[in-house]
Amino acid sequence: MSHLYLGSRPASWLRLFAIALLAVASVASAQSYSSSDTTEISTAALPDAPSAIQAQQQQQQQQQQQPSQQQQQPATQKPTEPSLSDLGLSPTQTAANPALQARLDRHTHMLKIHQTLGLVTLIPMAAAVISSGSATAHHNATGGDTTGRDVHAALGGLTVAMYGATAYFAIAAPKIPEGHVKGGIQVHKYLVWVHAPGMVLTPILGVMAYNQLNNGEKVHGIASAHAAVAWTTVAAYGASIIAVSWPIKL
Amino acid sequence: MKIIRLAALFLLSPVAFAQSPQTWVLTQSTLSYHMVHPVHTVDGTSHGARGKGVCGAGVCDFLVAAPVKSFDSGDTNRDEHMLQVTRGAEFPIVTVRFRLPESAINSPTLDCDLEVQFAGNTAHYTHVVFQQTIQGKTHHITGTVPSTLTDFKIPPPSFLTVPIKNEIPVKVDTTWQPQ
Repeated sequence: MSHLYLGSRPASWLRLFAIALLAVASVASAQSYSSSDTTEISTAALPDAPSAIQAQQQQQQQQQQQPSQQQQQPATQKPTEPSLSDLGLSPTQTAANPALQARLDRHTHMLKIHQTLGLVTLIPMAAAVISSGSATAHHNATGGDTTGRDVHAALGGLTVAMYGATAYFAIAAPKIPEGHVKGGIQVHKYLVWVHAPGMVLTPILGVMAYNQLNNGEKVHGIASAHAAVAWTTVAAYGASIIAVSWPIKL
Repeated sequence: MKIIRLAALFLLSPVAFAQSPQTWVLTQSTLSYHMVHPVHTVDGTSHGARGKGVCGAGVCDFLVAAPVKSFDSGDTNRDEHMLQVTRGAEFPIVTVRFRLPESAINSPTLDCDLEVQFAGNTAHYTHVVFQQTIQGKTHHITGTVPSTLTDFKIPPPSFLTVPIKNEIPVKVDTTWQPQ
């Protein structure tokens, strides 16, 4: 108890603290020396055959442990590394969604077909536009040959059929929750309201005009709008392709 | 008693310091990938990245993560295609990990070895140099990660049968603050 009272003097306490530290250090060093001493003794002693094997096994175990310890050392530092949960990302945000991925895959696959068919449709469409020059009343009046008109009608029909197939792959593609649609695809979708009705009206008006011409009549009434509707449809269709071909940012 | 308290404080203070390592938080970020096609040049930008750095034992470990779907190229259709081709629904987060010596935190240039996990694959980029400007406690870091499609085994999307270029460099513009 007297030492406690003596301890109220700082110098004494510091001395005691230093002694305690030295004692701890000496004990630690003694333990390390003792462990190395024992290994020296065990290896220095003349071993018989089984103990030599044991020593080799111990050495092998030590060698095996060394790299594993080296591997564990960074692993022990891993807990300090931040994780996704540290960033406030919830498991639902980081979890895989295979169903959505499958939906995206199917969506992309069908839209690729839509894109290819849409581009291929340009061929009969262009041919129908070119052949329209030989489908007028003038050609029928000169010699009664309706081949040009028939070819134009066939190309128009093929265009409508391919357009229908193209539209099917866009409509049937699985929908992805995308929120607000923006960019060129927005224009692409708006233009559907122009070329889709146009693609329905054009062949109807074309058939009407075709019949009127074959009956020896001059194209009249609503059928006379066939060319204008067709040109509007072609223009809207072309613009629709251009809209998704260039980065038009709206 | 005062001495005992002082001794206790002296002995416990390293423990206290060890338990509270310095941490850094990403406060603002802009990540932009640049895609090149013969008829397209597209930049997709994300402001949705989150990041944190933890310093201890002389090194700082950083993690930056961004949802793949947060990248916006200005075209919904293209972003959906990007999400599909990078398998963004299966692997919804792109993460970047790097380690810096604590002594290098205030350097004007940061030489980083990056580990990027994206599209279910991991790529390592060594010695990626970032520029740093410090204003008060705010560290503004910019740079470019020289990523490519093949690094992450992403099949190149094509338009008119022409694929996009393999190089997809990602510009990084981040602001960090100590927490």
